[in-house]
Amino acid sequence: MRRGSILAGDRRISSVLWSRFALRHWRQEPGLTALLVGILALGVAVFLAVRLANKAAVSGFSLFTESVAGESDFLIRSPAGPLGVGILRDLRRASGTDAVGLFPVLEVPAVDAKNPEGAILRLVGADLVALQNAANDGGSAAGSGPSLTAEESGEVVLGREDMGFVGEAFARARNLEPGDEYSLLVNDRPVPITVQGILQENPTRPAVPDNLILMDLPGLQKLVEEEGALSRVEIRVPLGAERGRVLERTRLAYSQLAERKDLIMETPEDRKSSVTRMSAAFRMNLTILSGLALVVGVYLIMQAMEAAVVKRRAEIAILRALGVTPRQIRRAWLLESLVLGAAGAAVGILLGRLLATGLVGAIARTVDTMYHQTTTSSVTLGWGEVLFSLSFGIAASVVAGFLPAREAAATPPAQAVRQGVQGGGLALLRKKGVGLTLLVVGIACAWLPPFQTSGGTLVPAGGYLAAIVLVVSLSILVGILFTPLSGLLGGREGDPMRRYAASQLRRPGGRHRLTAAGLAVAVGMSAAMGILVASFEHTLTSWIGQLLKADIYVAAAGSSSAAGEGTISPETWRRLGNLRGVAGMDKLRRYTITVEEREVFLAGSDYHGDARRRPQLVWLDAPDEPGPEALRGEEGSIPLAWISEPFARRLEAGKGDVVEFPTPAGTKSARVAGVYADYGNEFGTILLSRHHTSRWFQDDSVSRIAVYLEGGKDAEKVLETIRGEFPALVSRTNARLRSESLRIFHQTFAVTYALEAIAVVIAVAGLGLAMTGLLLERKNELATLRSLGASRRSIARAAAWEGSALAAAGLAGGFAISFLLGWILIFVVNPQSFGWTLAYRIPWLSFAGLTAVTLAVAAAVAWAVGHRNANLRSDRED
Amino acid sequence: MKALQVSRLTKSYDGDPVLRGVSLSLEPGERAALMGPSGSGKSTLLNLIGGIDRYDGGEIEISGRKLEALDEEGRCRLRRETVATVFQFFHLLPTLTAFENIEFPLQLNGVPEADRLRKVQDLVEEVGLEHRSRAMPHELSGGEMQRVAIARALSIEPRLILADEPTGNLDSTTGEAILDLLEKVSESRGVAMLVVTHSLRVTRICRRTMEMKDGLVVGRSAAAE
Repeated sequence: MRRGSILAGDRRISSVLWSRFALRHWRQEPGLTALLVGILALGVAVFLAVRLANKAAVSGFSLFTESVAGESDFLIRSPAGPLGVGILRDLRRASGTDAVGLFPVLEVPAVDAKNPEGAILRLVGADLVALQNAANDGGSAAGSGPSLTAEESGEVVLGREDMGFVGEAFARARNLEPGDEYSLLVNDRPVPITVQGILQENPTRPAVPDNLILMDLPGLQKLVEEEGALSRVEIRVPLGAERGRVLERTRLAYSQLAERKDLIMETPEDRKSSVTRMSAAFRMNLTILSGLALVVGVYLIMQAMEAAVVKRRAEIAILRALGVTPRQIRRAWLLESLVLGAAGAAVGILLGRLLATGLVGAIARTVDTMYHQTTTSSVTLGWGEVLFSLSFGIAASVVAGFLPAREAAATPPAQAVRQGVQGGGLALLRKKGVGLTLLVVGIACAWLPPFQTSGGTLVPAGGYLAAIVLVVSLSILVGILFTPLSGLLGGREGDPMRRYAASQLRRPGGRHRLTAAGLAVAVGMSAAMGILVASFEHTLTSWIGQLLKADIYVAAAGSSSAAGEGTISPETWRRLGNLRGVAGMDKLRRYTITVEEREVFLAGSDYHGDARRRPQLVWLDAPDEPGPEALRGEEGSIPLAWISEPFARRLEAGKGDVVEFPTPAGTKSARVAGVYADYGNEFGTILLSRHHTSRWFQDDSVSRIAVYLEGGKDAEKVLETIRGEFPALVSRTNARLRSESLRIFHQTFAVTYALEAIAVVIAVAGLGLAMTGLLLERKNELATLRSLGASRRSIARAAAWEGSALAAAGLAGGFAISFLLGWILIFVVNPQSFGWTLAYRIPWLSFAGLTAVTLAVAAAVAWAVGHRNANLRSDRED
Repeated sequence: MKALQVSRLTKSYDGDPVLRGVSLSLEPGERAALMGPSGSGKSTLLNLIGGIDRYDGGEIEISGRKLEALDEEGRCRLRRETVATVFQFFHLLPTLTAFENIEFPLQLNGVPEADRLRKVQDLVEEVGLEHRSRAMPHELSGGEMQRVAIARALSIEPRLILADEPTGNLDSTTGEAILDLLEKVSESRGVAMLVVTHSLRVTRICRRTMEMKDGLVVGRSAAAE
């Protein structure tokens, strides 16, 4: 009973404290309130935007049936090369009398003829009659409703290689109507397609991808001259009472068939997750990075709440003197944090939704370039995401408010009647021993092995743990800089206000330490990203420099995507080789194969004769014979192969190992002769002589060609000729390819640049708030200075010195953090997440710029805060 | 039962003794002045009696309740229900109007709104602030602020009012008016009052005057009246 009445009393008092104090303070200082809400909103918005954009950027990876024919139960595909059409007969036979729906599919990449370097389009060939039957059969589809409806298909003309259906979004974006012609580039030739119909959006089935062109299967096979070839067969068991049993029988029969024929049988979900898993590490790293803005935001809220505690200390002391308990005070402050968090998160969710629309394109382009073909779907904000972001924002704010709330609750009532008891800041920040211990522990954590998720993604848990521990450690140790900084500022001569500022640093308070630590964290994390990007750029530039030795590079349309691989026919590449001025060519043909349930690239290459001008691979484990002739090996002996670093990591292979892999000619093996660096994709590549691959795949076409010109030939002029002769091929000079590669690189990191800038802006705003807190604490001291004749400008100058010194400490600590974090990102997180070895580079020039800007802004902010807080009552009255 | 009983009270700050065994008592409704030079321990004694600060040794009993037996929660309750303090610098809550400042302790005690408003209205009239009740603290004069502080102290119907230099920050005319008010409310309610002061003027409303020196009560006398 008594406890009940105490609780009721607590609630009542909390409500009074909330309505009479917190709300009124917010109303009195709408600017500060808006700033706090804005900071939280920004943190939540960035975090949510990256999450939403990540989702939207990979959700475009949808299988054909998911979009048009409803959900399949299984799919069958070949581990290497296309399926033969005979597979349909085998599948029919294996399913016996069960009525199982089989949907053969051929999928080919294409590009818009008007924009050959734009997004990859998916030309999908399917049995249109079967699709229409499935649609008209209604309930027979596995619950996904009608597929290709009669209205959509109209009079389907079968077997046409020049007609196709597109989705509404596709038609809208290109202003197409049924009957319009649309020009594509497929492999090495232009192809006009007439729009036969528009696939309508239908709420009962997933949205049609905005890059899909649906054709009749025989028509597409004819178009790409691959009669009878299939990418996969999608299988659906009809609905009905027997479905469960039929599904089980089919699964058994087909898995036996797949095993016998060396095929892969999987569910669409398996397929989807195995593909999107590749980019999981990239997306996870981006999400973690996006948390940076929120982390800095948390620190800033902590500072702002601390400043508010200082400002309202007298009020809290009066409340305590009037009988309000510490618990009630703590609860009231936590409630303030909670409401701030909720408001910030709510605004952040709206902002994040808008930001995501802008981000999704950039992320999708990166995913498309580096991992798998994808199209963006529209950004959708579900209730799950709203709740997650709301809880995340509130939790962050409450965490940030915890220490200030504790500090507020610790205010003694006696402070109402005496002056001078100040405080603030974390006691932890004074413990140098703890800082040093954590430094050692943090470095040790970096050696912990990565953690593997159930989905197979390697999470560099040790690296992240080390990063967190090191950040905490150095944010504690940054406090040791105050004494030397005070010495530098002080001295017996010169500006007395500078000496006054130095005296403040001689005995730094908790707030000084907290401010420098917060700034160090923000600068440290941003600068670490700078080191990572600089190291990446340096490595990539020297890799490209070493690799790109030819004069002109030619690729089939659609080869810019990591997974899309167009082909150049033998007739075309021979014609290209015979052009005037062309001295020789390196040719590469790349196939996607599945080894040990992982998709990797199998590449066949052949090189022209001049060894001096061949691409110089960057060797991580060099072969004994580096020349490409060695790859060909002797007839009858096991072929030699070079593997890329991601391949070596994913399949745990190394020099001297024998690797087995599937080909249409059966399982083949090769001995690894060397391991080379490859920053072009994360799938991993096994590179052999094309002499072998063309035989195994019965395919003399190639995907990419490096063209070497005769001495003295102008590459631009030859490029003009190539473009004129082969309009369907994408060709670039060496210089253009280099600049294009770097452009894509910077585009990939565009998001990180924005996040870095946000973190530093938030941190400098934090410094302003911290200075406000410090000066409010010293109100009496400032009044004394004024009574001694110091002007507002003098006090502002002292504040500027102090702010600059704090910023200098933060910068020094931040750079120390960044060197260690950079080391962890490059040597621990990056190899474990992506399998890439980078050279460690520090962008000194950028750091100098960051230092100058931060110091200048910090001094200006501190000056303004000093000027504002140094006013006496007489100033206000004036 | 005495309104206040202090026995052998001691208190040190950083090893320096401030109170060295103070004993005094107040009957219900009695007003006493505590005088003495700066640093003699007057304000410290007041803070200890109000449960605002903790003492090292001795005993304090307020209306029969021993202070040392109370935990933090209990001391808060004591300040909400039994002992009220009037400060030299008023210590009004700057975000609340005069009316709300007076109302606030009643809100803390969960007094129903209708009773609360009536009571505050009565108090506002009693201290003569009917026309200023909606003003914010920074809009009030020193005398008005102290009237609000007195009304706030009275709102909880305390057994004991501790006044720390209640006229120390006021001009003489206003100070006289405040003393009259304190006397009036103490008389009318029978509330005991211990007034710390430097000013002899204050003693005119007190039955007894005690003098403190070096942390001890060194002299006691009846008021000049």
